Amino acid sequence: MKENILIIGGGAAGMEAAAQLQQMGMNPIIVEKSEALGGHVAQWDRLFPAFHPAKDVVDAMLDRVKDVKTYLNTEVTDIQRTGGGFHAVLSNGETLDAKAVVLATGFDVFKAERKQEYGYGIYNNVMTSVELEKFFRTGKDERINNPKRIGFVHCVGARDVKVCNTYCSKVCCATALKQACEIKEVFPEAEVYTFYMDLRMFGPGYEDLYLKTQKDFDVKCVRGRVCEVSEDMDGKLVIKAEDTLFGKPLRMTLDVLVLMCSMEKDKSIDAIQQKLGVGNNSDGFMQNKDMYLGMNDTAQDGVFVAGACTAPKSLPDTIGEARSVAVQVYNYINKV
Amino acid sequence: MNPQIFHPFVLPFVIGMAFVLTYCVVGLLRVIGQLPKDDRKKFWRSLVTPKTAWANVRDLFGDCLFHVKIWKRNPILGYMHTAIAFGWFMIIVIGHVMLFTLKPLEGIEAQGVERMLPNFYYPIFYKFFATETPVFAILMDFFLLMIISGILIAVVKKIHSKIVGVKRVTKFGFADNMIRFALWTIFPFRLIAEKTNIMAFWWIYSIDLCVFMFMLPFTRYMHIPTEALFILLRHAGLKPREPRKGYALAQLYSCPSCGLCIDACPMSVNDSNSGNTSAYFMKKLRNGDKEEAQRIAETCMQCGKCVAVCPVSIESCDIKMSQREAVPYQIHSDHSYLDGYTCTDTSNVSDKKACVLYFAGCMTQLTPKIMRAMKQIMEAAGEKYEFLDKDGGICCGRPMLLSGKRAEAQAMMAKNTELIKASGATKLVLSCPICYKVFKEEYHLEGVEILHHTQYIDALLKQGKLKVGKNDVNYVYHDPCELGRAFGVYDEPREVLENVGHLRKAKSEKELSICCGGSLGSFNLTQKERDEITENSVADLMFNQPDEIVTACPLCLKTFARKSPVAVKDLAEVVAGQLQ
Amino acid sequence: MDFGFCLSPSSHVKMDSVDLTTFNRLKETNPDINTCIACGSCTATCTAGHFTEMSFRRILLMLQRGKEDEAKKMIQRCMLCGKCTLVCPRGINIRKILLDITR
Repeated sequence: MKENILIIGGGAAGMEAAAQLQQMGMNPIIVEKSEALGGHVAQWDRLFPAFHPAKDVVDAMLDRVKDVKTYLNTEVTDIQRTGGGFHAVLSNGETLDAKAVVLATGFDVFKAERKQEYGYGIYNNVMTSVELEKFFRTGKDERINNPKRIGFVHCVGARDVKVCNTYCSKVCCATALKQACEIKEVFPEAEVYTFYMDLRMFGPGYEDLYLKTQKDFDVKCVRGRVCEVSEDMDGKLVIKAEDTLFGKPLRMTLDVLVLMCSMEKDKSIDAIQQKLGVGNNSDGFMQNKDMYLGMNDTAQDGVFVAGACTAPKSLPDTIGEARSVAVQVYNYINKV
Repeated sequence: MNPQIFHPFVLPFVIGMAFVLTYCVVGLLRVIGQLPKDDRKKFWRSLVTPKTAWANVRDLFGDCLFHVKIWKRNPILGYMHTAIAFGWFMIIVIGHVMLFTLKPLEGIEAQGVERMLPNFYYPIFYKFFATETPVFAILMDFFLLMIISGILIAVVKKIHSKIVGVKRVTKFGFADNMIRFALWTIFPFRLIAEKTNIMAFWWIYSIDLCVFMFMLPFTRYMHIPTEALFILLRHAGLKPREPRKGYALAQLYSCPSCGLCIDACPMSVNDSNSGNTSAYFMKKLRNGDKEEAQRIAETCMQCGKCVAVCPVSIESCDIKMSQREAVPYQIHSDHSYLDGYTCTDTSNVSDKKACVLYFAGCMTQLTPKIMRAMKQIMEAAGEKYEFLDKDGGICCGRPMLLSGKRAEAQAMMAKNTELIKASGATKLVLSCPICYKVFKEEYHLEGVEILHHTQYIDALLKQGKLKVGKNDVNYVYHDPCELGRAFGVYDEPREVLENVGHLRKAKSEKELSICCGGSLGSFNLTQKERDEITENSVADLMFNQPDEIVTACPLCLKTFARKSPVAVKDLAEVVAGQLQ
Repeated sequence: MDFGFCLSPSSHVKMDSVDLTTFNRLKETNPDINTCIACGSCTATCTAGHFTEMSFRRILLMLQRGKEDEAKKMIQRCMLCGKCTLVCPRGINIRKILLDITR
């Protein structure tokens, strides 16, 4: 009989782990709280650094898990360790037994209202990077009305003690530049400014993306953090930042301001995590055994982690971890 | 010598008494001499002004003898203090009444007293001042028992303070511990002397008193005589000018180091910070440890809770401010760049006097929700209004004052005053209690009504200019220190909230509310220490599981937002959301 | 010897001879000082910066590059309002540092 492996979370990490585990001859079961598989990446239009359509990747992943037993709109409400594995109770009333548990619960997007000085939820034309991506996907957003000048603010909810997130969210720099190019594609006449502290373009093809923003799209990068946003008489946004390279504070009027919101751990899993005995690290993400050989392991035998539940991660990082967690689970089941 | 008139065992007591009295008179002259001239004038005048004279009499009895304020905080401690202070006082008074009105019986041996008392009563405290009237004997006994019961509580408090409801007590040095022991043993010795009538115990009793008197000026017990002077000076309406002179000096010696402020101080949530509380500040300053006093003064958040709970009404926050002002600076601010600056333009307002001038303040610039809410409210109420600092104004000056740089703060205040006067407005509405405090206390804006927006909104609602709907949200209100404790603005915001939703109580309310931890008052607290204070304050607010925390200070709002499990809003924001 | 010309003084920051006494003194009581990422939030939000060139970010740099006099001049503009401390993403106790410099 095939061993049951409970995978909590049906995003990129959960799907890819399930696909691999199935191929390895196990019986993965995905429990996804939302109404569809795909997670955050399914909400994305195109992926950095090469503008690859997210749909292609998501569809391919979905295809690979089409035979995997999946619970949608379902959460794990209780979980206990039994003699040979785990006994889980689902929100639909069903119960299931599994040999191992993979936590692939991913991240939550930082709630931009928490940085009140940026005016999200106060001024109409302040939006989040997620909402802009939705605009690229659907072509619809009433805030975007042939804008002449668009600004991007990096590190919203990241590297910021004042919102208790001191870590770098890793993907926002590349996302901001990708979105800056895309908005230029839609509105070639518009001026696009990004307000960054460090442009962390570390991955393959990222630097090319940066060069593209400069050569092909004339995206203007200002080194400085936006600290205040207000609205003028005409409903335009007025931002304050310091141009730290020039060494002077600047003010600027914008039509749209995009906040590059950071990743935070999805806290809806906290109760289950506590029952399993998996703690958090200092950034509030799940604590894995170590970040090298034990990156998929936790302090608890049979409980594994993959993807952005342990730290902000890009899609390739997540897929890589999902595959490696499959191997770890396989080894655990077969006691290699 | 006739032992009936004089016995040598009283000598130690008499010498001690003479010493204390001399010390007190010299101290009194010194304090009064150090008062600035105008303060001294005020003081003399207050003594003969009927209103303050009455307050003096009331508080001299109420505070020094009955410790009414301690009763209010903690009845057990109240009883303890009253028992010792009032009991002792009464024994002295009755003793003297007896001496002057009655003929003492045969010296120490007082035969025949028993006969005059009812059969069931046997006096335990009578032999020295033996009396022909049973009433006196009964009174003396009563007060002696009272004192001894007070001392018993004090002993219990010393051994296990939690029994009497005190978490932390002040830690004392050798001298303070020794004089305490002397105080505790005075009456038991007296009792033993009375009962046994052995001369040695009378000597011990007298020497014990002598030790107490001689140590008194150098220990916290100096508060007993000083408090009387402090009450008079306080009622004269003085402010401490220099940290160790005049009025402040009287306050320093009036602090009994009782430690009620230790548990009250928000910083004490971290035990390692309880040494930064007012009791210790006063002690360090009294002992001349300027460096430590300065450090504590600059760590203090100036929330004023220690002043609110102080049984002696010591104005420790003011003394800390005067300590900050005493620090010399090498570099002085230069705000001459403000000279040519003008900002508001009310020229388009026809009736300037009807115009409401709104000053958001620096902190509110970072909470645009409050500014927008105020705008919506003023518009809904049909008010003519103008923003004084729409495009960023000048700081109100309180943060600079808090650093002790009074002169520099005055430059900014002068400029703001000029701008406000030039606007012609007669009403100034502020959103930030930090600004509110300085505008109320330091600005001279005759003819301009200064309101915090909680008061302003409350007035608009009461005048019927503003219509709001009621929702089902349970709010808890946090009193910002500079609005609540500083000016007693407790009811207006609560009344407003009851108009728009349901009000739940916090665990500690009004004058006992716990500072959010964000205070500009403190310079030394680290982010981590502040976070601990915030978490404690949030837990206190969440006591009755409210749906939302409401406050009326942009700094409280930002501070709480970091740590609160529920939404944190400003009062203006809540009202703006319920406008009809 | 006079060759009739001289080398014009270099405008380089002379890192070899920078006097870090003040900065090190500040660092002792304010260890957070090194966590600054020079984001410029303090400067952008500065109340005094609205009227003058006041910039805490630059003051920190000046102190580390041997321009203490310039830093001390700039600091005179400060109103100590505390906005910088409130916005600093690193939680640096800027108000305290500013006060310490003027001592």
